[in-house]
Amino acid sequence: MSGIKEHNVAISTTQRKSVHKSKSSDWTVRKPKMSKLSLKENIWGYIFIAPWIIGFLGLTLGPLLFSLVTSFTDYNVTSQMNFTGFDNYKRMFTVDPLFWTSLYNTVYFVVFSVPLTTAGAVIVAMLLNQKMKGIKVFRTIYYLPAVLSGVAVYFLWMQLLSPSTGLVNTVLAWFGIDGPAWLFEPEWTKPALVMMKMWSVGGGMLLYLAVMQGVPKAMYEAAELDGAGSIRKFFHITLPMITPIIFFDMVTSTIGAFQIFQEAYVMTDSGEGGPSNSLLFYNLHMWNNAFEIFNMGYASAMAWVLFIIVMILTFLHFKFSKKWVYYESGDHK
Amino acid sequence: MSNSVIGSKKKRMTKKTLIYLILIGGSLIILSPVWWMIATSLKTPQEIAQYPPSFWPDSFRFSNYLETWQTAPFTRWTLNTLLISALSTIGSVLANAFIAYGFAVIKFKGRNLLFGIVMATMLIPGFVTLVPQYIIFAKIGWVNTYLPLIVPSFLGSAFFIFLIRQFMRTIPKDMVEAAKMDGANHFQIWWQIILPQIKPALITVAIFSFNGSWNDLLGPLLYLNDENLYTLQIGLQTFKGTVSTQWNYLMAMSTTVLLPIILLFFYFQRYFIEGSNLTGGQKF
Amino acid sequence: MKKWLLIVCAGLLALLSACSSGSADNTNAEGKVELDFWTFWGSETRRPMIEKLIEDFNNSQDEIVVKHTYVPWGDIWTKNLAAIAAGDPPDVIVNDIRTVKIRASNNQVEDISKWVDDDLKNSFYPHLWDAVTYKDKAYALPFTTDTRMLFYNKDAFREAGLDPEKPPRTWKELKEYSDKLTVKNEDGGYKQVGYYPNWGNFTTHDWMINADDGKGLMEGGEPTINTPAKKEAIQWMYDWKQELGSEAVQNMKAEFGNEQQDPFISGKVAMWAEIGTFYKQLEEFGGDLDYGVATMPAYNEDTKPWSTGGGFVMEIPKGAKNPEASMKFIKYLTDVEAQTYWGENNFDNIANKEATKQITENLDGKGAEIFQKSMESLEYTYLSITPPEYPEYENLVNPLIDDALNGKISVEEALDQAQKDVENSKQ
Repeated sequence: MSGIKEHNVAISTTQRKSVHKSKSSDWTVRKPKMSKLSLKENIWGYIFIAPWIIGFLGLTLGPLLFSLVTSFTDYNVTSQMNFTGFDNYKRMFTVDPLFWTSLYNTVYFVVFSVPLTTAGAVIVAMLLNQKMKGIKVFRTIYYLPAVLSGVAVYFLWMQLLSPSTGLVNTVLAWFGIDGPAWLFEPEWTKPALVMMKMWSVGGGMLLYLAVMQGVPKAMYEAAELDGAGSIRKFFHITLPMITPIIFFDMVTSTIGAFQIFQEAYVMTDSGEGGPSNSLLFYNLHMWNNAFEIFNMGYASAMAWVLFIIVMILTFLHFKFSKKWVYYESGDHK
Repeated sequence: MSNSVIGSKKKRMTKKTLIYLILIGGSLIILSPVWWMIATSLKTPQEIAQYPPSFWPDSFRFSNYLETWQTAPFTRWTLNTLLISALSTIGSVLANAFIAYGFAVIKFKGRNLLFGIVMATMLIPGFVTLVPQYIIFAKIGWVNTYLPLIVPSFLGSAFFIFLIRQFMRTIPKDMVEAAKMDGANHFQIWWQIILPQIKPALITVAIFSFNGSWNDLLGPLLYLNDENLYTLQIGLQTFKGTVSTQWNYLMAMSTTVLLPIILLFFYFQRYFIEGSNLTGGQKF
Repeated sequence: MKKWLLIVCAGLLALLSACSSGSADNTNAEGKVELDFWTFWGSETRRPMIEKLIEDFNNSQDEIVVKHTYVPWGDIWTKNLAAIAAGDPPDVIVNDIRTVKIRASNNQVEDISKWVDDDLKNSFYPHLWDAVTYKDKAYALPFTTDTRMLFYNKDAFREAGLDPEKPPRTWKELKEYSDKLTVKNEDGGYKQVGYYPNWGNFTTHDWMINADDGKGLMEGGEPTINTPAKKEAIQWMYDWKQELGSEAVQNMKAEFGNEQQDPFISGKVAMWAEIGTFYKQLEEFGGDLDYGVATMPAYNEDTKPWSTGGGFVMEIPKGAKNPEASMKFIKYLTDVEAQTYWGENNFDNIANKEATKQITENLDGKGAEIFQKSMESLEYTYLSITPPEYPEYENLVNPLIDDALNGKISVEEALDQAQKDVENSKQ
């Protein structure tokens, strides 16, 4: 162990070199002659991912394919399932006005919540990655919103966002701002939800905190000797080192934001969609179709359209990640 | 020389004070909803119904907590929830770290395609697979047991696989190569070299997955039919009636339910601190 | 590491025990039929009542044993649906009366017609019976219902110089009363609002039905949304909102939206529409509030005081193992004795006519007064049944009405558009 640790000291030099080194030893290069080594590697690879394969084949694949098939039918969960071709998809794009409303609302939410929560989480993690008295307590406090869940939270927010007695508007009033009615004004419902999400950046914060633990102190010390200030240290050391997790956070929170459901469901009286349907998110509309009116075929079609949208975005995320995500292991695939 | 030392010390002091101020400000924002929760949990129903709502309870009715606990078999439900959460957390940490190693470190045929499929499973909203999945569990006789709530954790989840994979890729490859040279197999490398390196990540997964199954409502609700097997989250729902809600009880129970996770989080943090102290000298 | 192993072993043991308790057969050791009964009544107040009814039933005969399972409100139906799909549903479940037809058309409930005779049918209010039938077959028995009434603050009436024994009877009176009861603060805010039609438990749809002399948004299974009377109702609400000031209206709605503070109890609003069980809350939190209750005001002197309602039914999910035994239990729950008990204790309006009569005889005091009023109101209560052809009509209509009330589009446009959208959505 200790030998390994020692020869890793100068990360910036040896590691960058290893990027090139590893390229040449990539299995794709040696593909034609399947050596004993790579066969063994293949076997090891499948041993390691075996649990996932079992779960995927046993629990996930069937239901996924089933939902794909039902998206071309009028499946109603309990009794009927007639093939209807592309009717569900056609209806979505041509007849159903709520489909577009829900897509718009969802995209709006994604566009604002993902960058804001990501940036928020990084900043909070930076602040909490200090050696200071009481930092444990602060970390716990900042993580707390991620722990709170369920109905109680949403009702708390209704309390906080209430226009004249709520805390949010009370504070705004100190600065002379006349706050809106938040959850009761169609223009302000989504910003209110984004704000709620910002409040609970604790989950993301934890991720960054974890990855920041892996940034070697030696690097900071070396930078300090060079006279680098906090800001330079952040942009030149911390930020590159945490890009793999920023990437992770962006990808998963984009996926998560597209699937926002619980908040809207509770806050709009079990899926009614809020004032002027301003909180009718994609998944909420899908839920209503699936479980309120039992149009599961249509809901499945919606799910697969969402799948395609998010898949394209995720693909782009991965593609562009090569430009900015820095992997210590030197592997960019 | 001494002047500049004092200067930088002063600078550091102001910086620290500034950080404290920001942190305290943020804490107030975060804690204010929590305070509402606690305040409501201590009020009488009559006080809760009053308008405008009072910030400070007229009388602190701590007995609400005891009464709440006695309205239903909460002790039993707590133990149930603990059992489910503990087992699925163990499963989650072990399985996902194992699977992620496969995707992050080993180069095998079809890796990128399979990882693509892992990611794809995250993209389909759970609703549309909810019923078919339920039918699978019903057919193998797992309904009304904890198995549907625990076993899937041992089979990995896309979110955590992806997460741990990202962490593993922050580890310099030379370490793996060197260990291979020494004749270690992948299992040994995984257990002895990689896992200790990503302790903070594993702790994070543990916290997330404990949190997730502790707060899960839909899973237990779908798969459990026997009230003796119920969990706390289902128990919480009993206070939300069709006509009126027992807010003080709901909030008292919500506060109580929070405590274990907060304690767990507080406890696990020592690994974070440890990690940061060690990496400086140890990793490099 | 050892500790971990211990935990895992203990867990596995517990799992095994959980598994073994999971295998329940339909008949128990004594050869009785076991029925699984799902309700969402898990609260401290309702749970003991339903369990008492079950116990009485179990003791009254020796063929059937009913087991009660609480499943949270809302989620209970998702679970039910999954269980039906998997072929293992409960034997009896409580469900929403307004959507029985939808479930019947989707084949989610057992047809119980063969156990229904005229006597049974006639023991329920006709409009409730209508709701549980689909294509001339019965799919559930009605259990409870409700009707919205106008609760009013008698002290506020006295202060405003109104006769506390004479609640408003028409829209015109309602507005006049409300104007007198509305009191402003020095800073221009409202100290007390008399009434606002879009607060409380009687809102847009309800006033539209009230205006249209009891004709719903769906009549004979087809949309009737843009009728002149319904347009007038929305216009009336819009004007009222402008008069109070839309910001004030929105703010107050937001204040009360969190369901914690009650505007009627805390004296912010002098007239408030609610269902009969509101009495229970007034008893508990109302202190010495002096209030009266009246039927909803009618559109004018010539129309009826139309109200709206909902309710719950007992039904047998499709594929349940013992429909005949289940039916016996359902019959018991909807029969006079059980219904009387439920109504007296919960203050729900019940579906059984005879039991309703008995309750009025048994009750006294304020409770009797309210129950009496609710019976009066029930005579003109419209039950909004969701037609299977237009299952999502509410989701289409509501945002347009919101837009009209916010002044974004005219009332005319909104309802015409709503009519068109709903027509297009036919399934």
